[in-house]
Amino acid sequence: MNKLLAVIKREYIERVRTKMFLVLTILGPFMFAIFTVVPGLLLSIKTGGPTRIVIVDQTDKLYDRVRTSLLEDKDDEDSAKTGSNAQALNSNVNDRTKEASKRINGRYAIERVTLTGRSLDDVQRELNLRISKDQLDGYVVLPAEILKDGKAEFYGRNVGDVITRNQLERRLSQAVREQRMADEHISESRVRELSKPIDMTTKRINDKGEIGAEDSGGGFILVFILGFLIYITIIMYGQFILGAVIEEKETRVIEVLFSSVRSFTLMIGKLIGVSLVALTQYAIWGLAFAAFALYGIGMLAASGVPFKLPPLPASIFVYFFLFLLLGYFLYATLYAVIGSMVTTAQEGGMLAMPVLFMLIMGFYLSFVIIQSPNSTFAFWASMVPFFSPITMLVRIVTQTPPFWQIALSLLIGFGTVVGLIWLASRIYRVGMLMYGKRATIPEVLRWVRQA
Amino acid sequence: MTNTLVLSNVTKSFDEFVAVNDLSLSVGPGRIFGLLGPNGAGKTTTIRMIVNITAPDSGTIELFGQRVTPELQDRIGYLPEERGLYKKMKVADQLRFFGELKNLKGRSLNATIDRWLERVKLSDWKLKKASELSKGMQQKIQFVAAVMHDPDLIILDEPFSGLDPINVELLKEIVLELKAEGRTIIFSTHQMEVAEKLCDDICLINRSRKVLDGTLRKVKESYGRHSVALRAEGGESVLEDRNLVARVERHSDEVEVYLAESADAQELLTRLIAAGARITRFELVEAALHDIFIERVGETDEQTAGSN
Repeated sequence: MNKLLAVIKREYIERVRTKMFLVLTILGPFMFAIFTVVPGLLLSIKTGGPTRIVIVDQTDKLYDRVRTSLLEDKDDEDSAKTGSNAQALNSNVNDRTKEASKRINGRYAIERVTLTGRSLDDVQRELNLRISKDQLDGYVVLPAEILKDGKAEFYGRNVGDVITRNQLERRLSQAVREQRMADEHISESRVRELSKPIDMTTKRINDKGEIGAEDSGGGFILVFILGFLIYITIIMYGQFILGAVIEEKETRVIEVLFSSVRSFTLMIGKLIGVSLVALTQYAIWGLAFAAFALYGIGMLAASGVPFKLPPLPASIFVYFFLFLLLGYFLYATLYAVIGSMVTTAQEGGMLAMPVLFMLIMGFYLSFVIIQSPNSTFAFWASMVPFFSPITMLVRIVTQTPPFWQIALSLLIGFGTVVGLIWLASRIYRVGMLMYGKRATIPEVLRWVRQA
Repeated sequence: MTNTLVLSNVTKSFDEFVAVNDLSLSVGPGRIFGLLGPNGAGKTTTIRMIVNITAPDSGTIELFGQRVTPELQDRIGYLPEERGLYKKMKVADQLRFFGELKNLKGRSLNATIDRWLERVKLSDWKLKKASELSKGMQQKIQFVAAVMHDPDLIILDEPFSGLDPINVELLKEIVLELKAEGRTIIFSTHQMEVAEKLCDDICLINRSRKVLDGTLRKVKESYGRHSVALRAEGGESVLEDRNLVARVERHSDEVEVYLAESADAQELLTRLIAAGARITRFELVEAALHDIFIERVGETDEQTAGSN
């Protein structure tokens, strides 16, 4: 017991003392923010001035509406509400995209080109030439029949720009819809009124049949954040374990250790020590966040910036930590086994690929589960120990499954952890004393029987 | 008095390769025991089994009169051949950790660390990281880690390799002190000069088998009688007598005479005087452990090569 404590203490203190820990603890939240926010921002950043678009209007009456619609400074509210749940997961990204595009003035530079007796082919040839000379980014052809069959054509240099393409399509639709209504002799003010989109609020119903607070998609964002946190933590601290095991093997410290302490004790101590480092980091972040929640939000509100935390039951945090620990111990043990099989860090990285792959698979499975958290598929996915840390958590956040399922998942998970540590400490004991070459799988199996 | 360590018919193999084959030996208390052998003979594997890092496939190992258990590890101090310290950990912290792994703790542990650092003249390096120390210094730190918990059995695997003469003397001095305190020391090396000076008993292993063992004195006696260092003028004819002299090795101003089997040095001396030789030096030479080593290792190599 004393020896176990000595191992835990060493792992913990030596790690918490490093500058790396300090930097990670301080920069962690920023890095996290960067990972989640920046992709969204990048999508919305438009460089190189407005998109220059020519409208070839063969109806002779749509141009003004299209122009107004395109230049209008408004949200594409109608679009964000449509789309599948999977898209809704990224709704925060969409939100930010919209926010950002609002701020960009003059997203489009629009020009009208009429046929005036020429054939469409002639006009197109001329426009194609302008595009090739970089005087134009694209053009939209509005055929005479567009009001009936609703078909338009877009030609452009960069058709890969999905954002611009979708926006063009939506705003064209709006212009055409309004024109159709105008053609039915509906007054302009009525047209506006009629095309007003609906605003659907979403509320959650809990197990007791009570209606909860309004949910603005925060649940999905939360799933994403929690899943991502677990994923990052496992990768980061798993790598620490891998590095620590390889270091002891490379420096041959392990021989002295094994002459004083049993391999099982050593491995458990290492895993626990590093897990405490992770928990310390979370505790610091948690306290910082709590302080922010108590004072920061009040101050933000006072200075006129509204900020609302999604209401969360405390049980989610408890489950989060349970599954975080489960995931950590599952994967860290695997990393320890890999560390004892290889001779250098590079080899370790290679051999760790399948482990990483499993982890990523769990992360992607959560995108499927989020759409039907109570399906048979979701049930089984959340029972497989290597996926459950992320998948079960997704189910708990989206649509909490019966308690027995959560308990079973934890039981299977921690049962696997115990078995895995037992197995790993046997491989560890033999593998750590084999220098010079990487072990093969049959060799490893023999070690398990031997040790 | 029970032996500190008894190995009985110990065999250990890795897959096809037999590292230690039917090895039996015993180490008495308070002795310095030399485990000798060329590289790859099975010394390290034997030691790992004694310190309970690996278990033998067959045979038994008894320590202090009982079968080895993890608990007994605390009474052993082990300096492995492959040295290792945590590179980024401070010297004092490392020693404290290694001490804690041997169930030492608290203030007395700190005092022990200070005392030992003083003894190996590294007190100034207490708060430095291991990576800042020279190789020799790191080796001394490891040595301290192996002996600071006052173990009853100390196992030193090549303790002097890579050390400068001053530090070799320092460690030798400490080893002899430890012996004087009544501790048993097993010490593995292929540097025969060192073994010759320190060991009470030796065991020579080659190709995973024991070749010879016994007290250093007996081993040398059984080899040493057959050589004479001779400086003389005349008497050449006596040296030609193959009934008396097996062979002669000529050095710059003297010859080394290897006596024939069952021949007596006294007879050689009488015959030389009778032949009118003028003798300035006549000395019976004990075979150096070095020569015994080379001869016996060579023999067993031939035998195993022949049997294959």
